[in-house]
Amino acid sequence: MSPALATVLLVLLAGIVFVLPLLPALIELRLKRDAYPLNVIQQYSGEIRHFSYGFRIYIEALLEPLEKCVVSGTALKGAMPDGDEYLLLGNAGAALFSSAGKTIPNCSSIVATGVDMVLPDGVTFTKEVYAANKLMSGKKNVFRALLGEKDIHLGRASTINRWAHAVGALRAGPDCELHGRISSDCEIQLDSGCEFQRLNAPRIALGHLKAEAADAAPKTAETSLPVDRRLVEEDLEIKAGEVVTTNIVTRGRLHICTGARVLGSVKSNRHMTVDANVSVEGSLISASTMHIGRDCRISGPIIAEHGMAIDTGTRCGSPQTPTTVTAPTIEIADGVVVFGTVWARTEGHVVPQR
Amino acid sequence: MLYPLIVIIGLIFVYTARHYLFTLNRLFGFQRHPYIDIDTADWPKVTILVAAHNEEKVIAHILTALMSAHYPQEKMLVIPVNDRSTDRTREIIDRFCNDYPGRIRPFHRAGGKGGKAAALKDAMNLVQTEVILIFDADYTPGGGLIRQLVAPFFDPEVGGVMGRVVPLNVGTNLLTRLLDLERSGGYQVDQQARMNLRLVPQHGGTVAGVRLSALREIGGWNDNTLTEDTDLTYRLLLAGWKTVYQNRSECYEEVPETWQVRIKQIMRWAKGHNQALVAYSLPLLFGKHRATLRERLDGFLLLGVYVMAPLTLIGWILALGLFYEGVAPLHGVIALLSFTAFATTGNFAAFFEIAAAARLDNSRQRICLLPFLVLGFAVSIFCVSRACLSQLLAPITGAQFHWDKTERFRTTP
Repeated sequence: MSPALATVLLVLLAGIVFVLPLLPALIELRLKRDAYPLNVIQQYSGEIRHFSYGFRIYIEALLEPLEKCVVSGTALKGAMPDGDEYLLLGNAGAALFSSAGKTIPNCSSIVATGVDMVLPDGVTFTKEVYAANKLMSGKKNVFRALLGEKDIHLGRASTINRWAHAVGALRAGPDCELHGRISSDCEIQLDSGCEFQRLNAPRIALGHLKAEAADAAPKTAETSLPVDRRLVEEDLEIKAGEVVTTNIVTRGRLHICTGARVLGSVKSNRHMTVDANVSVEGSLISASTMHIGRDCRISGPIIAEHGMAIDTGTRCGSPQTPTTVTAPTIEIADGVVVFGTVWARTEGHVVPQR
Repeated sequence: MLYPLIVIIGLIFVYTARHYLFTLNRLFGFQRHPYIDIDTADWPKVTILVAAHNEEKVIAHILTALMSAHYPQEKMLVIPVNDRSTDRTREIIDRFCNDYPGRIRPFHRAGGKGGKAAALKDAMNLVQTEVILIFDADYTPGGGLIRQLVAPFFDPEVGGVMGRVVPLNVGTNLLTRLLDLERSGGYQVDQQARMNLRLVPQHGGTVAGVRLSALREIGGWNDNTLTEDTDLTYRLLLAGWKTVYQNRSECYEEVPETWQVRIKQIMRWAKGHNQALVAYSLPLLFGKHRATLRERLDGFLLLGVYVMAPLTLIGWILALGLFYEGVAPLHGVIALLSFTAFATTGNFAAFFEIAAAARLDNSRQRICLLPFLVLGFAVSIFCVSRACLSQLLAPITGAQFHWDKTERFRTTP
């Protein structure tokens, strides 16, 4: 081989070795396969009813035939344009879920009911259920998603897998598992033993409430919150009955004793303990865990970065000033009322009174 | 020559370790998003300042977006801060004021000191709410963004909030694609890791918020700096206020499409950042204030990022000099091992960070462009070094700092 050819080959080889690792980059630069902006959903507003709104539009075409089924008292089967089967129930349709006296365990059609409906126990609905009137589920029903134009009552140990929305009240019996988004335009009531993730309603009642307590709305803060703040480097205890007129930020633990009243917001960077009958006009925030005692009144958002427990009788927010209660894990005792949102990222439980 | 080189290598090692710490935290650590779930609240009144200097190409987009934001109308006031514009910016703003009476109150500034901080400072006379949000005019906020940026202010410890910036004009050319990757690494990994580790997320001065009482406590906007956002971050920190980062509060922006504009932008950032380095390093490290030890250390490292460019250049020169002088400590074994270790891990720390960010963003093919980042890195290192040098020589040359507006590339609506 001549020296000239060897040199050319060497340069060529070196060039190939240099360009080879850049090939994927050059191809991407040329073809622009992933040259779009990241997908930021401009209209995203975190609306909990997003899926129920979408489903209502999806089944709009079924409402007229459903009405006819109600008038004629019949049931109708068919298929949506995308191929999903549906079942419209105009009257006594629950009988369709049982055969020869035995309940059929699975229903794989979209179900729409036009009359008040009582579902049998133990049925799993693998597609969405729409109820134009009241819906009362049986025990251990499993729903993929559920939209009710009036009240919904879930029987003991029923499960929602994705979302449920009731235009009326939504009541869940003991030991229900409510995954995903659960909302109502009126009220949500969860019995003891229920598990949940995200709840939203003007009024959320958890566990059994005393009638007088249930109807008593917390006092609403009319005045604007203070802007002054008190910074504390170590642990802090707010004494029983003390009235605090500023915002408070502590780097250590915070203990608010019985009957204290805070007119501003409170933040602790470690565990926060709030004793019984405490009132906080602003927000309550812990960078760690939080325990809120009995019969407290908290007006603003309640946030715990690692976990939260709330005792019976406590009221969060008010009908006029709804609020959010959020933590990765939330344990709420019987008899707590929240006006607005409860959001447990990992899981929330309604537990019996301690 | 050897000892300065060892110091520089030590600093590079610290920054390399920092990159890895952030990336690993983002991939495997506990992710903090404490305020993102606040979706129901008695929302406070908010003032939104839109900084605009000759923004006829973009101002209508942001005002339209803000007018359709999901926030109680009666609690939100938009103040476009029209800073001495000579184009149609004033006319467009006034048209929006007529179309949305009571929701937009314009602030037309005809004279005074140049720069965004000076304009914002003058506009503060119109602000009466405790919560203030700030946007540059080329941003396009989504419907839920205002609530997401306001939510952290329910925490009385929070003085500043920063959202995530996402480039919109990604596909224009190689530069925009590289900037998209850089932004991704900077926000998706760097900023969120700082939030997770309770360090110092940086206030970016746009897609951002500040608490009025905190701003007053620290003396308002500093119009003597080129980067009022970095300055604000450190003054808030020294006064015991936290700046928090909201990775899910994303907003589109327009990135520079030409290298000239990019070079001007990065040189301004470098100069402003270095101003903050000089002003706040010592008080931050040794002063008596509420910042934790980790905040002091991270804050100091953050202040030093732009100084690392000239130091790296000096390191290269020193290493070459030592090589030609024949200096080889321990017969070159240490040098060889160090070089190998750096080549396999250190060199790629920033690239690893950006690759991790692209993975977290679920972007697939754009990771292929990583090798081209060397180009952006090379441009940056020389520009930033030039900016640092001009700052050092300023007392001799008498050069004055001036604020360069970033050119817009969008088509006029």
